[in-house]
Amino acid sequence: MKWNVGTKITVGFGVTLAIFVIVGAVSYHSVTKQTEAATWVAHTREVQNQLTQLLSSLQDAETGQRGYVITGVDGYLTPYTDGVARAEETRRHLAELVSDNPRQLSRADALAPLIADKFAELQQTIDVRKTRDFAAAQSIVLSDRGKKAMDTIRALIREMNSEEENLLKTRADAAQADARAAKWTIVLGTLAALVVAGLAGLILTRNIAGPLGNLTGVAERITVGDLSSAVAVSERSDEVGMLTRAFERMTRALRAMAGAAEQIAAGDLRASVQPQSPSDVLGNAFVRMTENLRRQIGGMVEGAAVLGSAASEIVAATAELASGASESAAAVSETTTTVEEIRQTAQLASQKARVVADGAQKAVQISHNGRKSTDDAAAGMGRIRTQMEAIADSMMRLSEQSQTIGQIIATVEDLAAQSNLLAVNAAIEAAKAGEHGKGFGVVAQEVKSLAEQSRQATDRVRTILSDIQKATTAAVMATEQGGKAVEAGGRQTEMAGESIAALAGSVTEAAQAATQIAASSQQQLIGMDQVAGAMENIKQASLQNVASAKQLETAARSLNDLGQRMKQLVESYTI
Amino acid sequence: MEKANAEAERILRARAHTLARAPRPAPAAGTMLELLEFRLASERYALETRHVQGVHPLRELTPLPCTPPFVLGIVNVRGHILPVFDLKKFFDLPERGLTDLHRMILVRGNGLELGLLADVIVGVRSVAADDLQPSLPTLSGIRADYLKGVSVERLVVLDLDRILSDPKIIVHEEVEG
Repeated sequence: MKWNVGTKITVGFGVTLAIFVIVGAVSYHSVTKQTEAATWVAHTREVQNQLTQLLSSLQDAETGQRGYVITGVDGYLTPYTDGVARAEETRRHLAELVSDNPRQLSRADALAPLIADKFAELQQTIDVRKTRDFAAAQSIVLSDRGKKAMDTIRALIREMNSEEENLLKTRADAAQADARAAKWTIVLGTLAALVVAGLAGLILTRNIAGPLGNLTGVAERITVGDLSSAVAVSERSDEVGMLTRAFERMTRALRAMAGAAEQIAAGDLRASVQPQSPSDVLGNAFVRMTENLRRQIGGMVEGAAVLGSAASEIVAATAELASGASESAAAVSETTTTVEEIRQTAQLASQKARVVADGAQKAVQISHNGRKSTDDAAAGMGRIRTQMEAIADSMMRLSEQSQTIGQIIATVEDLAAQSNLLAVNAAIEAAKAGEHGKGFGVVAQEVKSLAEQSRQATDRVRTILSDIQKATTAAVMATEQGGKAVEAGGRQTEMAGESIAALAGSVTEAAQAATQIAASSQQQLIGMDQVAGAMENIKQASLQNVASAKQLETAARSLNDLGQRMKQLVESYTI
Repeated sequence: MEKANAEAERILRARAHTLARAPRPAPAAGTMLELLEFRLASERYALETRHVQGVHPLRELTPLPCTPPFVLGIVNVRGHILPVFDLKKFFDLPERGLTDLHRMILVRGNGLELGLLADVIVGVRSVAADDLQPSLPTLSGIRADYLKGVSVERLVVLDLDRILSDPKIIVHEEVEG
């Protein structure tokens, strides 16, 4: 069986369709025949009708002729003229109608001279009657010439009528036979088509729907996740066979995926899945999933390690925290004691602040006294400055006088030098005098010695004077500096006065501040009482903290255990 | 007052006792040279007093143009116009510049009268002529020529006759006007 499903369906429905086409053609043919038969029936009726009219028009003409012949009145000629006019027209129409039938046509043609002959006889009669009399006309009529022509015409018309009747009968029989044949054809053809279509449906159902049903069952089981059912591999080469094989491959691939998933589920992430094709969504997703899982599990391994170590650290930290809380509780106890001490100190400070406030009031009084003292000091400095100026004048005079002394000393020195020279000259003169000059020489020597002594004395005086001048200069400078110092002292005294004034202001402010401090320290004392109460509360809270820290330690140990468990869990994965 | 005077007298006696010296031994037989001792720079020189007219302070020295370097200038001494020589130029001694303290030794000899510049005049003293040593081997040139001798106290005694008879000190220079 090499046919594919399309061919099968085409063949099945093609045969059925062919049968229906045949039935339709037959029906069409039959209907055409019936229509044709009906047309011929109408035609026959028309021919018979024309024949009747022709006969009638002839009879009308004859009737008019007879009336005129008998009466001689022109009014009776009216039917005659009408009949003559109609007869020829009707005959020509008849000839056209029967033009398809040669025998009838020959009869119609044969009618023409007969009618002409009849009309000629009638015209003759009428003419005779007109021209002559009734008797002449009657003789012509009695010649039977008109009657014979009329009989012949009647016979021909009867023949044509019967001919048409026969034709009609024949055609009706043929149409009847045709209709019967068509009826049988339609019935039998329809039955045959039904049978063929039924057979084709049955074959297709058995050949295609059966395997598709099986596959649907398998697909249903795959849909609910059951991959165990195997698809029987068919040898068929058509679409069903291909579908079966594709289904089988799909199932195999799904089973491979399921196997890989099973492996992953067992914790072995080394399973590598090969995608069936680049567009294999599931395969690619599986590859990415395994890669991501590998990465995530790797991250989780690290995370578990970090968590484990962090939990250990937290345990250590909470242990420290617990001990710290205990220490802080102890510290809080100490602090409470300290606060109590501070409260007593604050009480003391409050008392002292009152004492300070009193002291500050006294200081205000003292600073006012200090102000007066600095004013006195400023006046004293002024007097000192005047005296210093007097001293400076004296020193200047002293300096000038010592200059004068220096000049005098120079003069004395000069004198001594001249004395010396004189003594030398005297000695020279004495030497020139020889023995007589010896006594004079001694005197000259003495004079020289005196001159030398006076020179030495002036040297000493000069040295002393130099010292005096240095001392005087120093004293002048010292006096000057003293003057400046006194001036500076005056300024400083003024500044001190201002400072003391400012100090007095500050001391006043300080006194007010001290009063405020006293009030504040009173409030502080109250505040310290509150602090002591608060410290008691804190103490309670810190004791609770200790309990909480112990609980926290327990929780941290649980966390540590969790971290260890998680580590073990993650270690069960093989990356 | 009496007591104070007595006290003063006692003090003066004590000082006199301290200052008192044994008289100089009498000069030995032989000629004594009377010398005027003076200083040039830091060296001690001496001239015989027989040539010396006197010593004077060096005042109103008028420099003289167109003269050798050893002629300092001319001075007016009691109406006499005298030239002043600087011996240091002869002896190549360092110059210190002239001051009011410089002295001038007025000398006469060989028909000339002139002043010699001295830094310091020390005084007159007598030296035995025998004590003079003729010369020093270290001295040479013009100093050796002008030297009379050197005493035991290293006093350089100049021979003024030789200095004055030296033709170099006769100034005869003409300057092209």
